[in-house]
Amino acid sequence: MIRVLIVCSWGMSTSLLVDSMLTSAQERSCALTVEALSAGEYADKVDACDVILIAPQIRHLRKSIEKLAASSGKPVALIEPFHYATMNGQAVLEQVLRLLPRAREGEVTE
Amino acid sequence: MSSIVERSSDWFERYLVPPLGALASSIYLQAVRDAFIVFTLPLIIAGSVFLVIANPPFPLLADLVKDYRFAILVPYQLSFGLMALFLAFGVAYSLAQYLRTEPVQPGILSMVLFLVASMPVSDLTALKLGDVLPYFGGEGLLVAILIGILTTKVMHWFRGSRFIIRMPKSVPRNVTRAFEALVPTLLLITLVWGIEWFVSSHYMLIDGKNTQLTLPILLMEAFKPLVVVQDSYPAALLEIVLMMLLWSVGIHGMNVVLAIAAPFWFTTLAGNATGGHGIVTEPFFHIFAHLGGSGATWPLVIYMLRSRSTQLRTVGKIAFGPAIFNINEPVTFGVPMVLNPIMMIPFVMVPVTIVTINYIVFATNLVHIPVVIQPFTVPLGVSGFIATGGDFKGSLLQFFDLAVSALIYYPFFKAWERILVAREQEANQPEAAQVQTPAKVG
Repeated sequence: MIRVLIVCSWGMSTSLLVDSMLTSAQERSCALTVEALSAGEYADKVDACDVILIAPQIRHLRKSIEKLAASSGKPVALIEPFHYATMNGQAVLEQVLRLLPRAREGEVTE
Repeated sequence: MSSIVERSSDWFERYLVPPLGALASSIYLQAVRDAFIVFTLPLIIAGSVFLVIANPPFPLLADLVKDYRFAILVPYQLSFGLMALFLAFGVAYSLAQYLRTEPVQPGILSMVLFLVASMPVSDLTALKLGDVLPYFGGEGLLVAILIGILTTKVMHWFRGSRFIIRMPKSVPRNVTRAFEALVPTLLLITLVWGIEWFVSSHYMLIDGKNTQLTLPILLMEAFKPLVVVQDSYPAALLEIVLMMLLWSVGIHGMNVVLAIAAPFWFTTLAGNATGGHGIVTEPFFHIFAHLGGSGATWPLVIYMLRSRSTQLRTVGKIAFGPAIFNINEPVTFGVPMVLNPIMMIPFVMVPVTIVTINYIVFATNLVHIPVVIQPFTVPLGVSGFIATGGDFKGSLLQFFDLAVSALIYYPFFKAWERILVAREQEANQPEAAQVQTPAKVG
């Protein structure tokens, strides 16, 4: 099970991306949960996720999010703006999968 | 042409993004914004419904509800009308979240402190509710924000300091928490009560009446000039330019400006609900300027659907559905508008023009001023009718603005399309079906 946390602004447009990600995960029969939270809410959920993604419209918060992610050893990345714009769930899912193996080295996650 | 585009977008990234980003990432601004959106907006929207029913736009209906007007206003007065009280909770709660500390205790305490600050220190049983009620709504917002920030900052400081009552490890956590909060709670209540006692022992001549002061009344008198200044064309212009500059570098401009301007917008709007004539309010931007999303990008979506560029056509198809509900991230990041020196020009110019037109229209009473708040996702046409409390000319104004937007965007869109088509022909000689991510812009 891969747990993705997306930090965004209001969650309005991100919810469209989330749906698209879940659909393409289903097609690959890959177990995935995605949660989209605002910059004020995400901090408590960092420990309970595997990957953190940052929506492009809040990339100015990137540093503070990266710092928090680093303190719990979670991989973090900025969603490619064009993929975000076109709600390309497949591309973002691939980004998630690319981020993961590195993080799991030496650490046993179920 | 294409390399100028890339070079100037590098320039924007280097010089424009950092200062705007710093402004947008202030946790105080974010906390105020979250408090408005999460804690008070639902109440304001729900309360507005009753306000409109009590003041129907048609004379026939007005006659019908005349006898029940006060009864219908009760839900409005106890939701929209108490927004400052809930904002006090929301600001303290949201700021605590950003500071990663327990949020409910500061939230509750902030409400208590707000109550202490808004009532004169006197025999409360003799107090008339009607005298204090306005200060729980629009006129108490500034006090609510200040108290919310103060409460959380003080409690957060105490939690990390030596001045709290600590319990042995064996004591349950909830009990410990209650005791931890005791010292700052007592201290803050005493402090605010002391200040309020001092303030409410003074009287001031307000609107020809000798009025007993409270903190919100005093602050409102001090800030009244600012509220008046904010409700003006230059202020509206400044706000829309800041919004669009932020969006031009990819930062959610509405969110940032809302955090700064919301106390003014909502004070002015609450004034409109009670017979005022304020123009620069939240619906002035959300409903009448950002048609189809920030930057009034609706016409772009239509242009894109029939574009010769594969990239723009793809974005157009995806952007169409969200645009109906005024969501335009697909446009902003897909065209892209962000860091795109060509599209940035109309991206700022279109809303500025629309705001100018609308300001004149509202100032000259051609269309009824906005009185109702609604979710920004209400589609164009409908939202203009609702916002003005049922003036169909509100919808007409939106469509007029839309035509203006279509006109200004067109030449810029064509220029950008030409660049993209050239790029696509260069990149996709053998197969044209694949959509390419733009090389640098975005």
